[in-house]
Amino acid sequence: MATADESSFSRAADRLGIAQPLLSRRIKTLEEHFGGSLFDRSRRQIATTELGVLLLPYARDVLDRAQRLRQAANSARRSRVRAVGVPADCSPVALARALRAGAEHGITLGIRELPPLERVVGLAEGALGYALVRVPPEGAAHRVPLGLASAPVPGDGGNGAARRTVHLEELRPRRGRAAGPGAPPPVLFLTEDQVPCFEDRLYRAAARAGLPESRIRPAGAGATALAETLAGSALLLCAEPFARQHGARWRPLADRALHRGYDVNAAPGRDRAGAVPDWLTTLLASAVGAAPVRRGGPGPGPAPGDEDVRARPAARG
Amino acid sequence: MVPGGTGDGTAGGSPVNTARSAPTGTAPAHPPAYVGDDRALLDVAEAIAADWAALGVRGSFLARHLDTREQLGFDIEVPTPLASVVKVPLALVVLDRIEEGGLDPAHPVTVDPGTSSVGPTGLAAFRYPATVAVGDLLALMLSVSDNAAADALLGLVPVADVDARLRAWGCGGIRMRHRMNHLYECAAGAAGNDFSLALELAVRDEGAGRHTIGTLDPAHANAGSAAALVGLLERVWCDGIAGPGATAELRRLMGLQVFTQRLASELRTDTLRWSGKTGTFLHLRHEIGVVEAESGERVAIAALTRAGRRAGLAPDIDLAIGVAGREAFEALRR
Repeated sequence: MATADESSFSRAADRLGIAQPLLSRRIKTLEEHFGGSLFDRSRRQIATTELGVLLLPYARDVLDRAQRLRQAANSARRSRVRAVGVPADCSPVALARALRAGAEHGITLGIRELPPLERVVGLAEGALGYALVRVPPEGAAHRVPLGLASAPVPGDGGNGAARRTVHLEELRPRRGRAAGPGAPPPVLFLTEDQVPCFEDRLYRAAARAGLPESRIRPAGAGATALAETLAGSALLLCAEPFARQHGARWRPLADRALHRGYDVNAAPGRDRAGAVPDWLTTLLASAVGAAPVRRGGPGPGPAPGDEDVRARPAARG
Repeated sequence: MVPGGTGDGTAGGSPVNTARSAPTGTAPAHPPAYVGDDRALLDVAEAIAADWAALGVRGSFLARHLDTREQLGFDIEVPTPLASVVKVPLALVVLDRIEEGGLDPAHPVTVDPGTSSVGPTGLAAFRYPATVAVGDLLALMLSVSDNAAADALLGLVPVADVDARLRAWGCGGIRMRHRMNHLYECAAGAAGNDFSLALELAVRDEGAGRHTIGTLDPAHANAGSAAALVGLLERVWCDGIAGPGATAELRRLMGLQVFTQRLASELRTDTLRWSGKTGTFLHLRHEIGVVEAESGERVAIAALTRAGRRAGLAPDIDLAIGVAGREAFEALRR
């Protein structure tokens, strides 16, 4: 087409931005395909042959259609909804801000509440564009303090002494005068915390603090667990906004290795190479109730290998 | 809770009840084989098993009244690695050798920390060489569970001799196969000096049925069942084994034990006397012993437990063992 318009191989190659030998080769291939010359090369100026003139309107039509196909694909890509995987119980106000900010940046976001493992799978399979992904808190970009919700204490405004951190050792049943009636309440954890690395840490920390494994239980549905907690028959591991929203008393866990850690990740796509826009990262972090933290926070505990002879694995007593 | 490890052994002729659900707490995953001479005793055995299961503890328990010979318990024939409980049959063999005249209780033994066995108490905790008489090695071994004292005694009476003597006495349900330090060597071989890693391996292997730490395999460890241990205690307290001097001295030494957190915890009054020996290694928490009342009643008890919890210290498990001992004693005493 360009060669016919320009009546010159070199000018046509310039217009298409390719080398002239390449253009010549392509025309040769077409001529072999149609079984006849398209251009008359015998004179100084190139002329289109009778066959070439005959095919020209059909060629123009094919190219126009290809162009329209490309445009349709581009606009479809621009208007596609990017699914964002978030934990349950995010702040709706912060999520709304994320949706509005997406619109301003020309991206339609679709928020999907999913359990932690499904968010990871969704990213890997491309069903999600972005997701808040659980990672150990010490390496996380965002950390959410996890604490214990309990039944509200009458006359307690939710401040003051209630802000004190809670240590797992305190949950051991009391003996003597302080002994309470009945079995000590179970410690429930939500679907959002049913992540193998967190569960292992929690069970290990509880064992070391003198609690039997049976005290720690997955809560299943949040509403049931919350009801038991408000009724005083259970303690619920959750973030502060969730507890406050439902009028429960809440104290943060002193062991920061048990807090929630999040990174905001993008699906490993060909186009944007896994980058998450900064505005989205900030808004998702605030939706999950996190404040940014410095990398290299507290580790999961003391390193092994100290030479305390009592800690050596020998028979005792 | 840790699955695996089974036991279907029951005492001959004793009633076995597995059909009823446990009265309190979580029912054990695999119902134990209960023994008990009547319904009330079976109820107590079931309550103890349920109490232990609620704490993630598996194991065997047997309590026997030494005069009426009534008993209650569960999984009493399951061989279990004994840890320091094996120091009781070891002491009996050494005391018997002394009574026969084959060993002088005043014979001095020098224990050098550079070559002695690892442990947290007694000579094992010493930093300088000490010379102690055989009779006092026995006292250290049974009062504070001194691993170095036990292995020093095994230097005089070899492991194979102890095992052979136990079999000659008809105590084939108790096997002595290695020195005390072998427990530490196997654990350190698998996990280095990392107690929590060794504990992790021990708890994991309970479910898998294979043993990274060889001394936790009942087929290769110093091992015994609750039935065999109560049988031994019964013969020691009734002078039905070894010489009367040896059994009397063993009863005296077992009364000197300093640890009171387990079976002794709920049997401590001026009117009761507890003579026992604990055994603790990674997730194993055992104790055997005899409670004697002023009224003359005597009950021999063996509690052998394996915890599914990755904790070095578990006072609630120790207390549950103590509660079991008291409930069994009171039920058998009538």
